[in-house]
Amino acid sequence: MSTAEYESTAEYEGDVTVLEEQFMEQKSVGPIELESQDVSVWFGQRKVLEGVNIAFPKNTVTALIGPSGCGKSTYIRTLNRLHELIPGAALAGSVLYEGKDIYDTDIDPVHIRLQIGMVFQKPNPFPSMTIRGNVLSGLKLSGLKRDQHDDIVEETLTSAGLWNEVKDRLDSAAGELSGGQQQRLVIARALAVQPHVLLMDEPCSALDPTSTLKIEETIRELSKDITIVIVTHNMQQAVRVSDYTAFFLAAENEPGYVIEQGPTTDIFGSPRDQRTLDYVNGRFG
Amino acid sequence: MTQVLDREQIAEWSAQQPQRPWTKKPARLQARIAVAALLPAALVALLFMYTEIPGPVLLVAVYFPLQLLAAGIAAVATKGRQGAADSVIIVLSVGATLFSFIILTSVLGSLIVRGLEAVWGEDGFRSSFLFQNNVYINPSTPLEYGGLGHAVIGTLMIVLIASLIAVPIGIATAIYITEVRGRAVPYVRFFVQAMSGIPSIVAGLFILTVLIVSGAMNQSAFAGGLAYAILMLPTVARTAEEVLRLIPEDLRTGALALGSTRARVVLRVVLPAAKTGVITAIILGVARVIGETAPLLLTSLKSDQTILNPLTDPIAALPTYIFDNVALPYPGAVTRAWGAALVLMILVLILFTIARILGRDRLNRFR
Repeated sequence: MSTAEYESTAEYEGDVTVLEEQFMEQKSVGPIELESQDVSVWFGQRKVLEGVNIAFPKNTVTALIGPSGCGKSTYIRTLNRLHELIPGAALAGSVLYEGKDIYDTDIDPVHIRLQIGMVFQKPNPFPSMTIRGNVLSGLKLSGLKRDQHDDIVEETLTSAGLWNEVKDRLDSAAGELSGGQQQRLVIARALAVQPHVLLMDEPCSALDPTSTLKIEETIRELSKDITIVIVTHNMQQAVRVSDYTAFFLAAENEPGYVIEQGPTTDIFGSPRDQRTLDYVNGRFG
Repeated sequence: MTQVLDREQIAEWSAQQPQRPWTKKPARLQARIAVAALLPAALVALLFMYTEIPGPVLLVAVYFPLQLLAAGIAAVATKGRQGAADSVIIVLSVGATLFSFIILTSVLGSLIVRGLEAVWGEDGFRSSFLFQNNVYINPSTPLEYGGLGHAVIGTLMIVLIASLIAVPIGIATAIYITEVRGRAVPYVRFFVQAMSGIPSIVAGLFILTVLIVSGAMNQSAFAGGLAYAILMLPTVARTAEEVLRLIPEDLRTGALALGSTRARVVLRVVLPAAKTGVITAIILGVARVIGETAPLLLTSLKSDQTILNPLTDPIAALPTYIFDNVALPYPGAVTRAWGAALVLMILVLILFTIARILGRDRLNRFR
């Protein structure tokens, strides 16, 4: 990494602090719930991300945007310790959740993943379970005790915009649902364990416009209670759902950086970096 | 200007009938196919009737080449060179399929015909053959007396013991390779692969020298089961590994993202998703050993009595029963061997059907 680039990343760190203060006033949001500090990521010898500093204030939605291959999905997986499952994966820096580094040796990743849930790009319902079984699977898998299972099923499926379509066939196979329905099912599944943070990796890329709209409504609704980080390739979506936006960019064969971050209105309305301006206006990427 | 759905046309469309235009062939082509299919067969039929050349030779040396040639010529005439390659492939694959089908059905046919002689005589269905044992029977005793009930029990006992040992270890090995992914994976895979090359008699010899000659145990169902387990283990482990490998990584990551422990991922997500395949692994393991004779000759020996204690006494099993009887110079004994072979096959069929029913996955049927 060149010195010039490093300095530019360092600058944003300063910006964020200022913005945080602004937003504390504007939205009277709570404290920072999740924060990555100087996170760099490797696959084997290849460095794919460098010096990512993003703070996620409690009960807000942050959109991660940028062209394909710039490390957004990789980054989001470092936030709930899924990154380490990939052979050859490495990481530097720290990720603070409620002020504690989730990579501390005495932290159980299972505990972290229970608090910081995730929805993936490709729907991955468990094929051996029914629709109801999938929604409740998180409770079984994590050993979490929650009563009123029927209420949880209805509540979470309603939040995910799927309840009306499946309420009469909760005991049929999850594999019978269409791709879009499966995606909403796994969102309901992630909500059933009541995470404090929800990471969403392009959750709408396989959905039709109606389902997408439902998911976006769900995200807005959920952000009253939980912190959401969403990777999206859809600029309009970022504008519609997010409070903050971080723009990732990677040059050929170089690690990705956060070029610019801040309130979504600023990133899309008055970006300070030329590359951000070009990207949000669809001129590349 | 846009077009709008014309309501009056709907009545017209609703009268349409489903058709399959792609199945229709022009009459000229149909005639050629008929000639190409019938001419070689007719020619061979004539040769068979008017010459002394034996049927199988005609089939292999005359009919197949002729049929290939005819199909090739017909294809070139209608579709050109590309079509010729196409039809040659079709004739070859259909021919190969027929060939293996004929061999299989003739094995099966002779098994059923000769096997039924033992089970079904002038006196009707001989339940004695299925349920009695071999005590008081000598090779020249008529088929109405005695049976292989003791050998069926022996085979079931030995295979059950082998499965109880090999299935859990085999599946655990597969889980170590695909789910735990520990450091020893390359070595474990190497040993499993090497194990699958062990000749069955070596497995028997191993149990004989290490456990029986040393005095640790008697020649018994348990010793036979141990020898079978050695043979079964690599098949179960390798097949289960292949099956677990097919489970998408997404499911594991998805489960972990819900705050699951590794053990719960395996027990509640991966294994249920792979249930049908794991059952197949068990079936293949049983199929690998159930007809093995050599290890049993060394480890469980034989018996004419019905033995129910798996630890103390030598015991009969169907493969050794067949082996003993088929070598005797009495037609009755040879018939008993055929009957035992038929019973062994039906036993396998029953076991596999039960396994399939147990392994049926109601939720997965649409996948």
